Parts: sequence; structure tokens; C-alpha cells
Amino acid sequence: MESLSGLSLAVVLAALGLWVMVSRRNLVWKLLGLGVASGGSILFLVALSHRPGVRPPILGLGPGPAADPLPQALVLTAIVIRFATLALALALVILLTEHRHTQDSRRLEEEE
Amino acid sequence: MKFLLVCGLAGLLGLLGAGLIGIWPRPEFPDSDPVAKAWGVANAVAAVVLGVRLWDTIFEVLVYVVAMVGVRFFLLGMRWHGELPPVAETPLLRRSADLLLGPVLVFALYLVASGHIGPGGGFPAGAILGSALLLLALAKGVERLSAELYEPRLERLEYVVVVFLLFLGAVVLILGVRAPAAFVAANLLVAVEVAIGAWAVLHRFASARGEV
Amino acid sequence: MVAVLLCVLALALAIFALTGKRLLWGVIGVGAHSLVLAGLYLVLAAPDVALTEAAVGFGLVTFVYLLALRRTGKIVVAASPLYPLLYPEGAGIAGLEWEILTRFARWYHRDLELIWVPRAEIPRLLRSGEAHLGAGGFLPVPEDGLAYTKPLLPTRLVLVRLGEGPRGAVAGEPTGKHADPTGKLFEDAAELAHALARGEVGEAVTDLLRLREWTMQDLFSEAETQLVPGEYGFALAVPPQDEELYRSLTEFLAELEKSGELAELLRRYLG
Repeated sequence: MESLSGLSLAVVLAALGLWVMVSRRNLVWKLLGLGVASGGSILFLVALSHRPGVRPPILGLGPGPAADPLPQALVLTAIVIRFATLALALALVILLTEHRHTQDSRRLEEEE
Repeated sequence: MKFLLVCGLAGLLGLLGAGLIGIWPRPEFPDSDPVAKAWGVANAVAAVVLGVRLWDTIFEVLVYVVAMVGVRFFLLGMRWHGELPPVAETPLLRRSADLLLGPVLVFALYLVASGHIGPGGGFPAGAILGSALLLLALAKGVERLSAELYEPRLERLEYVVVVFLLFLGAVVLILGVRAPAAFVAANLLVAVEVAIGAWAVLHRFASARGEV
Repeated sequence: MVAVLLCVLALALAIFALTGKRLLWGVIGVGAHSLVLAGLYLVLAAPDVALTEAAVGFGLVTFVYLLALRRTGKIVVAASPLYPLLYPEGAGIAGLEWEILTRFARWYHRDLELIWVPRAEIPRLLRSGEAHLGAGGFLPVPEDGLAYTKPLLPTRLVLVRLGEGPRGAVAGEPTGKHADPTGKLFEDAAELAHALARGEVGEAVTDLLRLREWTMQDLFSEAETQLVPGEYGFALAVPPQDEELYRSLTEFLAELEKSGELAELLRRYLG
């Protein structure tokens, strides 16, 4: 149940983020959409590592099988890298607005 | 363009439906406890991140450093020239920052030290350290804090930490050292790296845009 | 059960954040969404991921967005001075439109830069992208292809007659249409006023506010004035390609009008 609801939310979040990335014209809105979409993919992996009745993958937290640590480990670094790439993208947006005075993607394309 | 998007969204929802009616087999994964035991730690995620996949993690940290170098490069020389609004010099903010700073630092250190036996580790600890630095900046003002935390020295420390991490990776993976101390050391290095990067970003953004 | 609740909450927050209009609420909404996701990871037996997501996704990412949002870029306003709408005062700028524009810039997270240009230049600057807004007693001409906000202040055109001579008007303004074939077109209302004072033109078409300005400056002692039929209004001009700015500006003005602040400002500046 937990896993399934997590998986469905992940797909919906990815779709929502993608939609925002395409339909919004402001670059910062696009980045927000990208963040939600990547959050969806992270949730997908975490939900995949879950089975009914598992415990966290830490020894001594009671009996029963543990959740799969591999997707969780993959996701752990992905979250931090997401922050780094977001900061880089925002720096580029600041640079663009400084020089071109607009954050509208269509205007940026037209002026080129 | 819109057509492609609709196709992509339909595909995603199709995948969801397929998963929901159980078309995908969901294989049982192997028990992770032996992995954790083999590396001598309790947290299997830490065993994967800093043990089995240590090499991978080191290069992820390298990606992080490269992104931070990019931020520094792009915002180089971009300083806010307009009038600087006064930093929020409210006693409430200062006092609460002073009060919170100690516990936050202790919590970050606790996460570093206990990353191999419980949830935690270098990544969240580094992020919390970075937030603590921002808290300080809020209370003291970016200019004063960046004068105290001399940035070129921090930047050099960042690169030194990467070298240390590579060295640690070599020790762990080539010499086959499996000890909790190696995990604590790796967590500490990662935390320092993430914290310096986060501080660099926040500081760069703040000084390019004028205020916190 | 907890997981389902958290999922619904996370989805609601994401939809709230991404479908809103203000960027600030979007950032705050995505931060809250991230925090709910951290709780969901905890339920999904991933405490490490939950800690990292809470510290990075909620803390650092929100901070970085807020810092980047402080001032992302600036709006360049091209304007010609008109008391009391927009005029230089000492080293600074003041006026009703300036007040509205500074409030809008804060609301839109931009800086404001003002360049003084002749009225006839403004449409060209807007179309070429060198300026983003036209202001300063701007009388809309529907045919020139710019987008206009709702009029801030209604006005009438007026014909000022001093003596014999050609009729002068400002190029690009609706007053230009009332110039007769022998008349002269000027770049700016200030030039027109000088020409009128020097006697280069005998009569001029202008609007009520400028007429008041000219009378206050004692440009002429006695003049015969006659209202020109037709309703006009001072508005802000936006280039047609800048849909987002136009949408935000009209929305901001509607908010200002609804809260009664616009009426208050009008009362303060125009009595």
C-alpha cells in the first residue's frame, strides 16, 4: 500500500513537473518544475525499495526483512547533486537576466 | 512539441497503470544485513554509499565541487552596486541565531559521528552545517561573515578535501581497510565538502544580489 | 494509511505551488512539498533519505531560491516627464506612476531603471526590447501595436490657441491625429511647449495635465483653450511580445484597485 501510493505519486509528480517545464515560459518556473519532477523520480526509487512490513536498512531495528539499501544509497547523492545543479542553473539565470533583462524563454530565443 | 509532451505524459501514466495492475514482476531483493555486517557497520545505506559504492560517491562529490566552481565562475565580479539595504539587525534574530547555532552544530557533528550506526551521514550533516552558516549570516550580515570566513582559504580547503577523499578511497578500496573509523572520516570529509559548497553558493548569491 | 495521507498532501502542495501565479508562493509551496516528501520517505523505511531531503530539499534549496529571487534582473522604464505622474525631484524621481512602478517592481522581484526619452521614441524602444515599460503620461494609440494597461487616470485632449500660426502636436500620440496637414509634429510635449512659447506654432494639441503643467510654468499668460471631443486616459505601455510582464502588470493593477490603494494614491497625488 505504502509502496504503491508512493509509486503512483512519483509518476504524477514527474508528469506535473514536466508539464510545468513545457508550459511555463519563465525560467525560474521551469526550474521549479524540474525540481518537482526530479523529486518524483527520487520518490520512485525510494518506493521501489519498500515492501510491506520492512524495517529501515539498519541493523538492530527489530526482526523482519530490511528495505533495499541500494536505491536509497543512489538517491542520497542524487538529492545533493540536485541542489548543486539547481544552484548552477540559478546562477546562469541571474547572469541571463543581468545581460538580457528577461527570463522569458521565448523572448530569449527570439532575440538570438 | 506539445504533441511530444502529451505522448510522454501518456507513456508515464501508462507505466503507472502497468505497475498498478501488476504487469511488472517485483523481484525480492537479497537481504542487506550481510552487507552491513561485512563492512562492520550497522547502517546498510552507509555501507553501500561509503563502502561498496565509495568510488561512485567520491565522483558524485566531485560533480558537486565542479558545479560550485561553476557558480563561483559565473557570478564572479557580479557585485551589487546599488544601495545595500540594512541587514536585519533585530535583537530577536541575533539572539535566536546565537541560541540555535550551538545545538545545530552539535547535531551536525552527531550526524557525522553516528552516520555508520544510524541514519545520518555526511550529506545531511553538510547541508545542516551550510544552513547554520546561513543562520550566522542572517544574524551578522553577509559582509561581516565573509570577512571573517576568508573565502579563498575555504575554497582551497574544498580542493584539499577532494584530494583527501580520493586518498581515502584508495585506502579503503585498494588496501581493503574495513573499519568504522574510515566511515567516520569519509562522512566528515563529505560533510565539510557539502558545507563549504553550500556556503559558497549562499554567499555568492547574497553578494551578487545584495542582501540575505 | 499515513503514507496515503502524506501522498495526498504532497500532491496538493505541488499542485498549489506549480499552478499559482506568484513565484514566491511557488518557492514556498515547493519547500513545504519537499518537507512532506521527507516524511513520506520516513514512512517508506528510508530514514537516511528523509534526513537528506529535509536538510537539502527544504533548507538549502528554499534558501537558494529566495536569494536568487531577491532581485532577478531589472525592468527598464522609458518615460517622458509629466508632473505629477512621473517627474524628476532633486536627484531622484517621484510621482504617481513612479510609486505604482516601484511597488510593482517589488512585487515582481525586479529592480527598476528609468530612462528619460522623448515620447515619440518610446514605442520604438519597447519594440526593440531596449525598454520594458513605457510611462510618463503615456496616451495609448490602439493602432501602434503595443499592449496597454487599463487607464490609470482619465483625461481629455485640449486645443491651446495663442495666436496665428501652424498647429503643433506630438508625433506618435493621439494628439498627432488632430494636427492639420500644415501642422508641425514634435518629438515631445516639452519641445512643443517651447515652440509654443517662442511662437513657432500658433496653437497646440495636448492633454489637460500638460496644459496644467504649462500654465504652472507660466509659459504663456493668456490662451484660448477648447476641449477636443473623445475620451482618453494615461496608461502604461508594454511591448506586445512580453505577455508575461503584461499579465503580471494588469493583475497587479487589478489588485491595487481592489484594495483601494490606487484610489488612495490618486487622491494623494491629484487631490
